[in-house]
Amino acid sequence: MRIGVFICHCGTNISAAVDTEKVAKAAANFPHVCYADHYLYMCSEPGQELIVNSIGENELDRVVVASCSPRLHELTFQKTLERAGLNPFMLEMANIREQCSWVHSRQREKATAKAIELVRMAVAKVSYNFPLQRPTVSINKNALVIGGGITGMQSALDIADAGYSVVLLERDNTIGGKMSMLDKTFPTLDCSS
Amino acid sequence: MVAVAQHPNITLMTYCQVEKIEGFVGNFKVLIRQKAKYVDHQRCTGCGLCWESCPSHVPNEYDLGLSLRKSIYIRFPQAVPNKPVIDWEHCRHLNEGSCGICQEVCPTDAIDYHQEDEILEKEFGAIVLATGYDLYAGEAAPAEYLYGSHPNVLSGLQFERLLSATGPTGGEIICPSNGKEAQRIVFIQCTGSRDEAKGKSYCSRVCCMATAKQAHQVLEKNGGAEVYVFYIDIRAPGKAYEEFYRRSVQEGAVYLRGRVARIYPRGDSLLVYGEDTLLGRQVQVDADLVVLATAMVPAAGWEEMSLLTGVGTDKDGFFAEAHPKLRPVESFTSGLYLAGTCQGPKDIPDSVAQGSGAAAKVLALFSIDEMELDPITATVDEGTCSGCGSCLLVCSYGAITLEQIQEEERGTTAYSQVARVNEAVCQGCGSCTVSCRPGAMNLKGFTNEGMLAEVDALWL
Repeated sequence: MRIGVFICHCGTNISAAVDTEKVAKAAANFPHVCYADHYLYMCSEPGQELIVNSIGENELDRVVVASCSPRLHELTFQKTLERAGLNPFMLEMANIREQCSWVHSRQREKATAKAIELVRMAVAKVSYNFPLQRPTVSINKNALVIGGGITGMQSALDIADAGYSVVLLERDNTIGGKMSMLDKTFPTLDCSS
Repeated sequence: MVAVAQHPNITLMTYCQVEKIEGFVGNFKVLIRQKAKYVDHQRCTGCGLCWESCPSHVPNEYDLGLSLRKSIYIRFPQAVPNKPVIDWEHCRHLNEGSCGICQEVCPTDAIDYHQEDEILEKEFGAIVLATGYDLYAGEAAPAEYLYGSHPNVLSGLQFERLLSATGPTGGEIICPSNGKEAQRIVFIQCTGSRDEAKGKSYCSRVCCMATAKQAHQVLEKNGGAEVYVFYIDIRAPGKAYEEFYRRSVQEGAVYLRGRVARIYPRGDSLLVYGEDTLLGRQVQVDADLVVLATAMVPAAGWEEMSLLTGVGTDKDGFFAEAHPKLRPVESFTSGLYLAGTCQGPKDIPDSVAQGSGAAAKVLALFSIDEMELDPITATVDEGTCSGCGSCLLVCSYGAITLEQIQEEERGTTAYSQVARVNEAVCQGCGSCTVSCRPGAMNLKGFTNEGMLAEVDALWL
């Protein structure tokens, strides 16, 4: 098992509160960690290159990225792993921004200690990860738009213009919604019919 | 509206409600209730004899109570489809068995009092939620603004109906109390918006511009009219918006920065007491009409729609997008998209943009024949599963079923019950794994072993 750990500064979003170099040094000593580094923006092109190259050079089979919430960049880094030839699910993210630097902005020492613990946990979890394959499903190409106001009508027209069948469902007995109740519409004063 | 009705790829289903949504991206099964119209729209020509003859009058929702309609009705003359329905709550025949005039006069025999609601099952690959907004009218306005108790205090949308050529007055701005033309009109901004104590904390985004437009229309129709607008600040952050607002000011609308404290009725007119914080003094305006810019709220029924679709809401009931900046028209459920004011207050240009945005997402999905799903789903170790079914009870997505399996052991056949997970329906929430007492349920990518290793790393 060969784990790589990558600590992101997120500009100063993380590095202002967390000593990223210290976190990287601590991570280098965690079980199975063969490589640990830190960089200004890990999600940027050079940041991702750093990960891809390190995977190749150090024969890494698992990766921990300590940066923002996985809601923001998990997909980004999963794709990075794929580019390096790893299964995307051999990635763990340690959220040291929303759950650390942003909430402990004036406690650098404690924030750094907490970031180290978060990375330690992610390293432990990634040790148990195994490759996953995405199942596939077929796509029925009919769309349902619920609501026949200006938004639903626009959506239905765009989908229909592309050649697909759309059901536009409206609970009232006419489409048009609130828009049809307006006399003229700003800023061009068009009619609403 | 007409473009929608005429499009060969669009099936219009009006007077319908969603009853149930099952399935997953690319494979949704939807039960739709077609409410009884009591009119056979295949036969109906929309000639109008029925609604002209109908003897019952009820308040017209389309004009927000400013006019009356019949029990058999179309919303407005340009409605799409342009064929009527019977409002069964007010129809004399459907309630008392009397009347029956519409059936008598219908030349095509289209009236069908025995029509019933129909439940239709349809399959779709993608769903766009565009359920819109309502105005937080009556409850939002402070009692001292007399909304609902004085006929000349109107909501912004009611005032739109007065301005409209299809409205109850044919576009004449008259006072509902006496039918006289309104000469002095006061607009009050942020009624119920930006007011945590008495309404909603958020800005409804459209009212500043809607009021500037209404002020312009008043002055265009009646150059001698007096228009006053009480505001907190003017928010006109769109293309050509600031210029539009300036134009209304130049045309003569008087903008007063301050709140209205109270409105007193005085005969047919209204005495509006407020303050002008720029001049630092109290003001008093004599008005014929008062128009309240009330907050935008999610359209009635948002709670049911949230339960039906599994799409969550924010504290005010607006549907929650997957990411406020990067995924504004996606929900957390793959294949289910959001657009327009059901996601948050917005004006027409922004609603249209989101409608197109959601359509682009649907088209991206439709551009492929097969889709890869998230592999983070629950899996069962059948050897450990006791078949107790507790996972079934906690699963919010209906992804788990109990099935009987057959095992051959030393020449005898044994039957046992085990849980099975439908990977396409499972959303990987993990509820089943924590409810499973024998530990047979595990979540790929978040295995019990992996989670415990994380905890151990912290404490051991």
